[in-house]
Amino acid sequence: MMARLSAPLALALAALAYFIPAVSGGAPVVYAACTTIAILAVMAYGADLILSYLGEVSLGHTIFWATGGYAASMLAVNYGWNGWATAAAAIVAAVVLACVLGLVTLRTREFVFSLVTYAAAVVAMEVAFNWSFLGGSDGIVGVPPLVLTIFGWGVSGAANTDLWPIAWLLLMATLLFIHRFRRSRLGTSALMVQMNPDLATALGVDARRVRLAVFVTSAPISALAGWLYAYQRAYVGPDMFESYFLVLMLTAIVIIGRRLLLGPLIGTALIIVQQTFFSIGGDGDKIILGAVLAAILLLWPKGLIGLWDVAARRLRSSA
Amino acid sequence: MTDSLEAIGITVRYGGNVAVDGIDVAVPAGRMVGMVGANGAGKSTLINAIAGWSRGTPVVRGEVRLAGQKMDGLPPHRRAERGLVLVPEGKGIFAELTVMENLALVRPPADTRGRHAFSMDDIFTLFPRLAERRGHKGRMLSGGERQMVAVSRALRAAPAVLLLDEPSAGLAPRLVHELLTTMRGLVDRGLSLLLVEQNARATLELVDELYLLERGKVVAREAASDMKDDPRILEAYLGNLTA
Amino acid sequence: MNLTQQVINGLVLGSGYALVAIGWTVLLGAARLVNFAHGQLYMLAAFLAWAAMQKLGVSYFVAVPLSVLALGLLGVALQGMMQRLVMQQNLTSLMIVTLGFGYVIQGSAARIFGGDPQTFASPLEKASVHLGELWFTWQDVVTLVGTLLLFGVLWLVLNRTRLGALVRSVAEDPKLAQLFGINAAQVYIGVFVFECAAVALGAGLVAPRSPILASMGFDEVILTFVVVVLGGIGSVGGSLLAGFGLGMFTALFGALVSPAYTTAAAFLVLLTVLVVRPGGLAAR
Repeated sequence: MMARLSAPLALALAALAYFIPAVSGGAPVVYAACTTIAILAVMAYGADLILSYLGEVSLGHTIFWATGGYAASMLAVNYGWNGWATAAAAIVAAVVLACVLGLVTLRTREFVFSLVTYAAAVVAMEVAFNWSFLGGSDGIVGVPPLVLTIFGWGVSGAANTDLWPIAWLLLMATLLFIHRFRRSRLGTSALMVQMNPDLATALGVDARRVRLAVFVTSAPISALAGWLYAYQRAYVGPDMFESYFLVLMLTAIVIIGRRLLLGPLIGTALIIVQQTFFSIGGDGDKIILGAVLAAILLLWPKGLIGLWDVAARRLRSSA
Repeated sequence: MTDSLEAIGITVRYGGNVAVDGIDVAVPAGRMVGMVGANGAGKSTLINAIAGWSRGTPVVRGEVRLAGQKMDGLPPHRRAERGLVLVPEGKGIFAELTVMENLALVRPPADTRGRHAFSMDDIFTLFPRLAERRGHKGRMLSGGERQMVAVSRALRAAPAVLLLDEPSAGLAPRLVHELLTTMRGLVDRGLSLLLVEQNARATLELVDELYLLERGKVVAREAASDMKDDPRILEAYLGNLTA
Repeated sequence: MNLTQQVINGLVLGSGYALVAIGWTVLLGAARLVNFAHGQLYMLAAFLAWAAMQKLGVSYFVAVPLSVLALGLLGVALQGMMQRLVMQQNLTSLMIVTLGFGYVIQGSAARIFGGDPQTFASPLEKASVHLGELWFTWQDVVTLVGTLLLFGVLWLVLNRTRLGALVRSVAEDPKLAQLFGINAAQVYIGVFVFECAAVALGAGLVAPRSPILASMGFDEVILTFVVVVLGGIGSVGGSLLAGFGLGMFTALFGALVSPAYTTAAAFLVLLTVLVVRPGGLAAR
């Protein structure tokens, strides 16, 4: 269904998306929510590559998310690097870390892979919390406004109204990338390794190499989200490792259904809209988020799209 | 004569593929019924469906009755409790458990009416080899010994009808003959047995009735004595199987 | 630094690690289920025991069994919900589901018990023993002896009884177990209840060492997972050894190098082991 969307229609939808905050009244809180949704959705797309296409559960993507945030804030605060430079640094740092973690976990699978990635995130948090080089428990404060210019034209700013165009652009670029990835050789190999490892091996696909490649590919996506998040909050700290972001990523991916291009975006939007406009307090929101995550997988393991399939089948059989 | 086991209209689907297509099977009390057919004819799928068991997720339709009692819809452990006991093809015992532990996992029923109870002594009389190996783990046993444990385990459950899926797979011909002869001995003492076999000639020697399966359907069902006398059937259905 | 004292500290720490990990080890071995709510269950058990002492006024020795019982019941409920996924051995979804459960437990505990740190005091913690320069509390003794006893009994049950054979058979091949007349679903419930009760016992004995917080979750018990993987998935003896080994390591590393980075160091040890032996130390 998604695959048959024509390019002009996709462009039109993307352009429409850009005007969502303006059309919704243009209040700062709306811009903030939209920017946050875009950032967190991009973060989720990083984990989505692993969960949807490799079929493994990476619990370590908060590391890449935080890497992006720390790279941006440290280089901008200490060395005054501009947005392009910090973004490049975020990508490089995430790729390096992903290579290390990917190589170490190369031979582990299923729950051992998840456990190790989770533990890596806990340890990374401990390091960030204790190492004064990374700001320790206070984190890094006073991240300057984001400056991104190209050929004299550009954006700069710290308010959500200024950051929205960048968040939107980042989201669209991510969607395009994921769309390409799904059709790429790597994307199809990953699916094959997940669905039928024997066949994949028989066809000459090196499962370990594919897994490593997808892992390393996914890291900069979450890192770029963290990069923009640093500018949005003007502050980065060990709380970027918190399980909130992890649970949010996973929920966003599974709520609509895995392997759907727009799934994580819609999922993130639902969660952030609930937390921004229908919040029942921080702990209450936690209960909602956790309960939604568990309930979806327990009741409709394919996500809400599975419900749609059931309904469609009922309609067809009754017609 | 009453039928111990009656399966009516068994159909098994895997995804879109029909593996077994509306098969009827009856095992009369105290008889041995054989089921032969080429690889992929649906023999194992059928016998597993009768036991309500599978390693995959097939969709099964049809009725299964054990001494008139409805079995369909029951999970496999409930069917085993009621005396419909399957020895699956291939791995039939736990490799990490000793022979005694494997056999002791089974709780013999309190009420053995209409069923055939086997004490541990009976088992060790049938298979003296197992008495020597009782403390060994499953993975230390030879293929033949494993099959003996698998069958013994089923006998400990006091079967009303025993379902045996390719017990000869991977065994030397002498062992196959020994095992099947032992099974025939139990049938002569009243046990009802449904045997699925690839080894058609050995099966024909021992069973009372034979079903031939081809692509999920029964293509012939006759008394074994009639089949023996009919060289055309042997030629047509068995020649290629035993070659 | 007194080396003997550090060895004692290591033994005490290690027995705590092993005790908190044991339920999980059995669960992983039997059901291949990774319970990411393990840390939140530990937190909940500690708070339930604390609340029983504060609100019901019962003593520590009544509060801990009560919390073990409550967690056991919670285990029945949680496993009941997960039954379908466990029977399908849909491990990926299960991991995420337990993560969701953990988040719900954490949010609920914060709502019910508040966000402040609390003191979950054990009378045994105050009774200390001094032998020359050496020092330990009766709580330490009870934890160490209790852990050894529990592991001993568990080993006997798993390896010498029909119940143990039942658990091991389901661990090896749940489908085949059905043919042996075994209801795998019941075994899974039993194992999950054991995991919840065991972590509650672990919390009862270990949590009084430091203030308890509703937000302490998996991070609090992260080292138990090192124990579980290092010891070899599902190996009871392996977990005990790994627990003590890790206890020694953290005690000595904390005393000699840096207390702030002990978790990171323990994790590095684990990574090294995993690179060399992906199945853990006890893997065949």
